[in-house]
Amino acid sequence: MNSFQEVFIRYRELMEIAVYGVAILLILIGLYAVLTKKHLVKVVIGLSIMDAGVNLLFVGVGYITNHTAPIFSPGYEDAADKMVDPVPQALVLTAIVIGFAVTALALSLVIRLYRHHKTANIEQLNSLRW
Amino acid sequence: MLKKIFVLFLLTVTGVALWQSFRHAPFGENRVGDVENPETVSAFYLKHSPETLHTANSVTAIVVNFRGFDTLGEVTVLFLAATGLASILYRRKEDEEEEGGHLPVRVKLKSSTLVRTGAKILFPLILLLGIYVFVHGHLTPGGGFQGGAIIATGFLLMFITYKRFNVNHKIMVWLESLSGLAFVLIGLYGLVAYGSFLQNIPWTGRLNDLISGGLIPLIYIFIGIKVATELTNVLDTLMNTKPRKK
Amino acid sequence: MVISPVHYIVAPLAAAFLIPLLNKLYDDAARVVPGIVLGYLVVVSAVLVPQVLHNGPITEIIAGWRPPFGINLVMTPFSAILALLVSFMAFVIWLYGFRFRRTLKGGVVMYYEILQMMMTAGALGIILTGDLFNMFVFVEIAGITAISLAAFYRDRDGAEAGFKYMLLGSLASVFLLLGILLLYTQTHSLNMAQIAERMPAVAQGVKIMALIFLLVSLGIEAEMFPLNSWAPDAYSQAPSPTSAAFAAVLGVAAVYALARVSYTLFDAQSVSMFLMVMGFLTMFFAETAAIAQTDLKRMLAYSSMGQMGLVMVALGIGNETALFGALFLIINHAVIKALLFMTGSYFIYNNNSKRLVALNGIHKRLPYVSFLFSLGALAIIGFPPFSGFWSKFYILSGAAKRELLPLIIGILAITIVEMTYYLRVIGRIYFGKEETEPASHKPSINALVAMTSLAVIIVVLGLYPDLISGYLHKASMFLLDKQAYIQNVLSVK
Repeated sequence: MNSFQEVFIRYRELMEIAVYGVAILLILIGLYAVLTKKHLVKVVIGLSIMDAGVNLLFVGVGYITNHTAPIFSPGYEDAADKMVDPVPQALVLTAIVIGFAVTALALSLVIRLYRHHKTANIEQLNSLRW
Repeated sequence: MLKKIFVLFLLTVTGVALWQSFRHAPFGENRVGDVENPETVSAFYLKHSPETLHTANSVTAIVVNFRGFDTLGEVTVLFLAATGLASILYRRKEDEEEEGGHLPVRVKLKSSTLVRTGAKILFPLILLLGIYVFVHGHLTPGGGFQGGAIIATGFLLMFITYKRFNVNHKIMVWLESLSGLAFVLIGLYGLVAYGSFLQNIPWTGRLNDLISGGLIPLIYIFIGIKVATELTNVLDTLMNTKPRKK
Repeated sequence: MVISPVHYIVAPLAAAFLIPLLNKLYDDAARVVPGIVLGYLVVVSAVLVPQVLHNGPITEIIAGWRPPFGINLVMTPFSAILALLVSFMAFVIWLYGFRFRRTLKGGVVMYYEILQMMMTAGALGIILTGDLFNMFVFVEIAGITAISLAAFYRDRDGAEAGFKYMLLGSLASVFLLLGILLLYTQTHSLNMAQIAERMPAVAQGVKIMALIFLLVSLGIEAEMFPLNSWAPDAYSQAPSPTSAAFAAVLGVAAVYALARVSYTLFDAQSVSMFLMVMGFLTMFFAETAAIAQTDLKRMLAYSSMGQMGLVMVALGIGNETALFGALFLIINHAVIKALLFMTGSYFIYNNNSKRLVALNGIHKRLPYVSFLFSLGALAIIGFPPFSGFWSKFYILSGAAKRELLPLIIGILAITIVEMTYYLRVIGRIYFGKEETEPASHKPSINALVAMTSLAVIIVVLGLYPDLISGYLHKASMFLLDKQAYIQNVLSVK
């Protein structure tokens, strides 16, 4: 094994930590916010961060080293074997849109809760605890 | 305190589990395989997107054709979110009086001349960019969702700049319904003519032509219109808390 | 145009997009159109289900790409029966709510109708789809409609219930996505049949993680302990037809997804213990919590969770007898719980109170509704002449075949708990002392038809379970036969 290969493997490991690590970290940060934050809007932000982490993970999983975007522009018509996996990118589009829809709905619920209780503190909204 | 410890424990477990399980899919590894003799779905899509569908952007080919049913569901999710939002934030006259007839927050704000002039100039350009993005969805990165989102940002700009800027609800309802319906009807055309819902027409043109990919650009244009109106509707409902006139 | 499974999804979708336009032309369009659509779905089921039961599964390809590559809808005997159940129940619930909804003021009726109809479409999508990611999309459709409906009434604590559901639902969708992604990285496919086919080659650790992600997320939707705290709030805060639909439409779809994932994607043996333990805990906590409730709808909600737990236990037992019982129980629960919510809501409507105390002596004011409620209550406990008896009987004999004595004792003990609180309510209705005499709202004719037809189903299925047991046997056999599913889907060209 020559030194170039070694550097390449090291680089790949580093990228793995950078992409997967950051994506998983985002999921954890979001989860932390959802579980501990008291302000409703912060909880919703946590959900969005979690979604962002998952989306990043999707794109990261589809990446192939040194491959290009899966678009057959002029000059790339025959480069199909040099392209990254297009499926996760298509799925992430769906996931983003659904995440948006849920966030919008969540914010509207926050607005209603705030109007009704005049507070956005989650601890003061416990008329339905079991 | 106990809760904090529990949360940290939970986060650690989740993090380690995620990290360990995604280590089985090494970053940057080629899992697509041979494109000529596809074993995986991705290879199949990369092969047939240029060869059969003549669609340059294979992500668009997947979103609109191969997995078009997902996209129909996705558009529906947006539609339902807008509907749900409207039903949750719907206000009756009584509510209005109960809350002392508060005006929406944005009415209190007044933006500077610079912003207002800038917005006026930018607005048509943003719309144009959005339309460009969804019309070229099958050739370049982007498409209906991206273009629709861009158009909605244009409306957002107008909403926050002009305090009394309002969209015409009648036109919005029509556009929203008709574009969604058009998507379903195109799908049904496939079902009636070729025996499977959302099936593309056999004529798909030449790769990298503006009119290529069969029905893909058409569907993506309808998706673009639908997403733009839907997102604008959501923005409108969230910003405009006055009761809607039916 | 030949009737095919895709109609289940397309008809409600097209109608949902059309309703805002039609509503401008004709004021009552929003109330009438969903009924037409749901009625059409019942017709579709009536055409397709006999076909599936006699000629075997139907796999329909979408967008012209054969199964592993395109999305496909699969109608196995199991999903066909559930699709029939869901569309029929949705239609009955629509019928029940047809006049009820006139009490709603303003333009919100349209939103309500669209959401209620699309919840059915989402549930049908979950039941029919053969693609894992497509299932996620339909789970989200059902979830978003359910959240909006839970938060529908503003003079109740609806927004809070909706927010709670939204929190857990988003967690569920994140976990579902992670599970799907994990399976995708290992099997390079999203088609459930192909994933199942390639599953043996997947590393054990990844398999377990993916299983955990999928079970947690579907467990949230299927009201599995301890992730079910959304359920009582959502059930009790939603409008009554929606509460009925939560039990009869959403619950069915969630349990189906759980069954499909654990039986087709994974080995039933590997999840058997987990499902039994979690199902039993769900049952135990839900039924004990139900005793303490003072609110009718919450009590019914906890009872729903208990029934879901029993279905999970039966899925966990996993032999043919238990699965037969599980399928029978899903049907029973949908029909009976819908009837209980329908009749219960008339009590609430008359008393202007959800409290159980207000039920005292209500049979004098609403004799027929009280009779139907009591019939439903007896049926859900599993009293012999009614249909609920058979489902419990088969689940118990399935457990007996696997010699799970502690489980049998546990289920019987919980049944006694269940009996206690239902009989207490019946006691209140018939023997309680009446305190006040508010104005009486008699049920409207359409609601009477809906409730009576459900009651007739309960009695007929109880007296003649053989009417459907042949089909149910076939369906549960097919659920166990993983290879047949894979074969059926992947051989389509």
